[in-house]
Amino acid sequence: MGVLSAVLRSLRRTTTISGLAVGALALSGCAGSSLDQSGSQGSGDEVKLGLLVPLSGVYAPLGEDMRDGFQLYLDQHGGRLGGKTVRVVTVDEGETPQTGVPAAQKLVTQDRVTAVVGVVNSATALGLRDFFHESKVPLLVANAGADAITGERSSPYVWRTSFANGKVGAALGPAVAEEVDGGVYLITADYAAGREMVGGFRKAFEAAGGKIAGEKYTPFGKTQDYQPYLSAIRNSGAKAVFSFYAGAEAVNFVKQYKQFGLADRIPLYGTGFLTEGGVLNAQGASAVGVKTSLHYSTELDTPINKAFVEAYRTKHGKAPTVYSVQAYDAAAALDKAIAKADGTGGEDIAEALGGIGTIDSPRGPWSFDADHDARQKYYLREVRSDGGSFVNAVLGELD
Amino acid sequence: MDTYLVTVLNGLAMGSLLFAIALGLSLVFGMMDVLNLAHGAIYLVGAYVAVALTGDGAGPAMFVAAVLAAAAAGAVLGGALAGMTRATPHHLDQALLTLGVALVVAESLTVVFGSDVHSLAAPAPLDGGVQILGQTYPVYRLLVIAFGAILALVVYRLVERSRLGAVIRATVADRAMVSALGIDTGRVLVGVFAAGAALAAVGGVLAGPILGAQPGLDEKVLLLALVVVVVGGLGSVRGALLGAVLIGQVQALGVALLPEYASFLLFAAMAAVLLMRPAGLLPAPTAVRA
Amino acid sequence: MKAVETTAPAPAVAARPRRPARRGRAVAAAVTAAALLAAVPLVLGAYPVSMMTRMLAFAVLVLSVDLLTGITGMPTLGQAAYFGVGAYTAALVGVHLTSDGAVQVAAALLAGLAAAAVTGWIAVRAHGIVFLMLTLAIGESVHQLADTWSLVGGGNGLAGMPPVSVLGTALPAAGFVYWWVLAVAAAAFAVVALVARSPYGRTLRGIRDNEARMRALGYRPGPAKFGVFCLAGAVAAVGGALWAAQVRFVSPGDLGFEVAALALLSVVIGGSGTLWGPCLGAALVLLVRDNLSAHVGGHGALVLGAVFVAVVFTMPRGLAGLARRPRRTEARS
Repeated sequence: MGVLSAVLRSLRRTTTISGLAVGALALSGCAGSSLDQSGSQGSGDEVKLGLLVPLSGVYAPLGEDMRDGFQLYLDQHGGRLGGKTVRVVTVDEGETPQTGVPAAQKLVTQDRVTAVVGVVNSATALGLRDFFHESKVPLLVANAGADAITGERSSPYVWRTSFANGKVGAALGPAVAEEVDGGVYLITADYAAGREMVGGFRKAFEAAGGKIAGEKYTPFGKTQDYQPYLSAIRNSGAKAVFSFYAGAEAVNFVKQYKQFGLADRIPLYGTGFLTEGGVLNAQGASAVGVKTSLHYSTELDTPINKAFVEAYRTKHGKAPTVYSVQAYDAAAALDKAIAKADGTGGEDIAEALGGIGTIDSPRGPWSFDADHDARQKYYLREVRSDGGSFVNAVLGELD
Repeated sequence: MDTYLVTVLNGLAMGSLLFAIALGLSLVFGMMDVLNLAHGAIYLVGAYVAVALTGDGAGPAMFVAAVLAAAAAGAVLGGALAGMTRATPHHLDQALLTLGVALVVAESLTVVFGSDVHSLAAPAPLDGGVQILGQTYPVYRLLVIAFGAILALVVYRLVERSRLGAVIRATVADRAMVSALGIDTGRVLVGVFAAGAALAAVGGVLAGPILGAQPGLDEKVLLLALVVVVVGGLGSVRGALLGAVLIGQVQALGVALLPEYASFLLFAAMAAVLLMRPAGLLPAPTAVRA
Repeated sequence: MKAVETTAPAPAVAARPRRPARRGRAVAAAVTAAALLAAVPLVLGAYPVSMMTRMLAFAVLVLSVDLLTGITGMPTLGQAAYFGVGAYTAALVGVHLTSDGAVQVAAALLAGLAAAAVTGWIAVRAHGIVFLMLTLAIGESVHQLADTWSLVGGGNGLAGMPPVSVLGTALPAAGFVYWWVLAVAAAAFAVVALVARSPYGRTLRGIRDNEARMRALGYRPGPAKFGVFCLAGAVAAVGGALWAAQVRFVSPGDLGFEVAALALLSVVIGGSGTLWGPCLGAALVLLVRDNLSAHVGGHGALVLGAVFVAVVFTMPRGLAGLARRPRRTEARS
């Protein structure tokens, strides 16, 4: 608190606001005038990359996994991407664009990074689109799932190594239509991601001949008790349920689905985030039997994934998640792009990202499509008990 | 109809938890005029005590130990807060102070336990379900309802029928007068603050198997408790009980009946009550004075 | 009921008529401050300037909270709603109509005024903590609306706002946006300061200190409170428009509980009742929130909480109290 009181003491006289300006200056470092616009700079043998992940707030577990995944790739490649030494500047995205947008502005305008990786919150990614587009700095979205990021709001500078909400939901549609004989109930948190995932599922599911038995949208971030909704599901006569929740809501929903006796009678399907990472640990046995669609599982039986899981466990002491892989692959994409690029400026790298071809990832081979979204396989997963811990066993590929 | 009866039952379980949590907040506000914004953080301390002691699925003995440990931790924190808030006379400063403490406590819990979601199992013999009206219902929630009923009776006897209760009520009504009678109101205040905080922490343990423990839960619980307190009426035991039961039902039956408006129900109910009865449904007798 | 008294203590100095010498000093201080603030873009880089732009926009929101909480004695957690109404209005105008900053601010002002008028008549009937909870309910409901209403982008927010232009010239660089925001923020500050010093402002302070006595003296607290609530809504909305001008994006997070709480805390930290104190509080709070978190491993809340506790015990009158304390001893001796 010494610094604070010193600053405050300096504010005592009438020069309060100049004191503040000096404080801001001292804190942020002098960087010249702010009256011109300038993009990123690369210099010689070094590239500076920004990592924009949530370290505080409800998304912090995802942010930590992303940071760990990104770091693992760097460590495995001697801290170099595309032959250049990498310097990483990490900032906290926080929970909402209120914090995420300023943090990204800092990376680009102050730290002058060549490219930024991260972003969990979809609103933050959409809100930053124009900023990155105009600054000509590539943004590699490593989680945020809003369809528009690589849809109507796409940009030559915005790339996504993760997923689009609608596609994850859609992947499961035909499989559920085939497996379930009867109506399916849709339930999700009432916000953009939930509606997009359910919307994607519904479209593919109905196209495959499936029938909807009912739907509910629960208040996002405010629902602790799902009993009223579970009763409605029971009374609807649905033969299966499709849902999307994340974080604490996913834990409460899946646990209560079991506690109120639905798990034994009505199979539960969802997008993979329902049972991923720390969420699955917390759900434990209540999640057994839940079937989900996702582009990754630790149980994928490929040499490259086994080596990845092993290395990740050794380095970070826990199993990786889809979030780790998305950031790991963002590093892989940058590795190829920097190697191919003519220079280390943002424009060079954005252009090179278009030509990196297929990436052999722990999730299987994937590449950027024309909209800069990840073109990838989705897997049908089922939660199983594996000697005390719980995993998402892979039942097969979805198409 | 059967469906709604089970939902009503569930609303009672939530109401019981809310009563345990909101009671301390209400009494402290009634007696000391302190809006304790650290109340949710104290609840979260209780929840994490349960994670630490019963995280791997412990039996009833360990569960009871967790309740006692949480009560102790809550009482200590409450006592400390009482001391700190008594040293700061102004309301807005007290709000800032208790919020500061809340942030420090909650963030310290994140440092220790990580930012992942933790869930808790009910103690072994109570973790199953029973059939009620043809539906499976978790036994543990029935226990929570029973706890709420017993707590309501005990607190009512204590506050409305005992000598200690008379002192507490008198302190709510007119602290200066009680002081003039030679009773050390400072000790009463610290005692009530500590007891209320202990109750909130115990609430954290009891709610553990239902709500789990994760960063951010403190704010949600604080918000619900505040709504219960203003709906019920500040400083009153009966008000806290009525408010808790009402809000429990709004969150359960209300959601079942009007799912489309689920996200607006809580605040709509609160606004409706406050517009009709600005002092809440059953305020402490003295609070009508001004 | 006791809650009536849930208000800040009267800062005696602010209410007292100012002596000419002191007024001269205050004017000199304001001019110096304005000049220094205006010089900021010449010295600092783009990021610190964009940060200070957001501080200014946030300070306007905090001013509106101060108007209600510090001057009129109505502690509020609902001003973020009107801030959000202003930000969304400005963004909608920016996306669909014109990039003219003045039009955006004017539209936001009207929208904020209207929103406050519609919701205010319910809220101002309450006092103290009940008022606080009602404003919280307003804030949460508006937040919920923004989160689910697809017309304004729902949870994904409203993007695609072009750079603000002033007098027909687009302002792409951070420094020019800063000057625009500074100019409007200074105007908002001046308006609030004039209101606070006017007879109406004295009526509001009277309501804060003793509403019953004001009523006995023949004042009508109801309309006075409703008026200041509408004014505060308009000021908060202007802050929202300025925020949108810098960030060029609005999302439900901008009108959430966190923003409302930080705004109220900025008032308390700065010293409620004065106007410049809360503005400094706003800057301090944003500085800690946006710059410290990554340095302490995402545990910025720990620092923020410690700052709150420290402020209470070391600066009982907030930042403003630091400047006032010497004067008060002067006056006594």
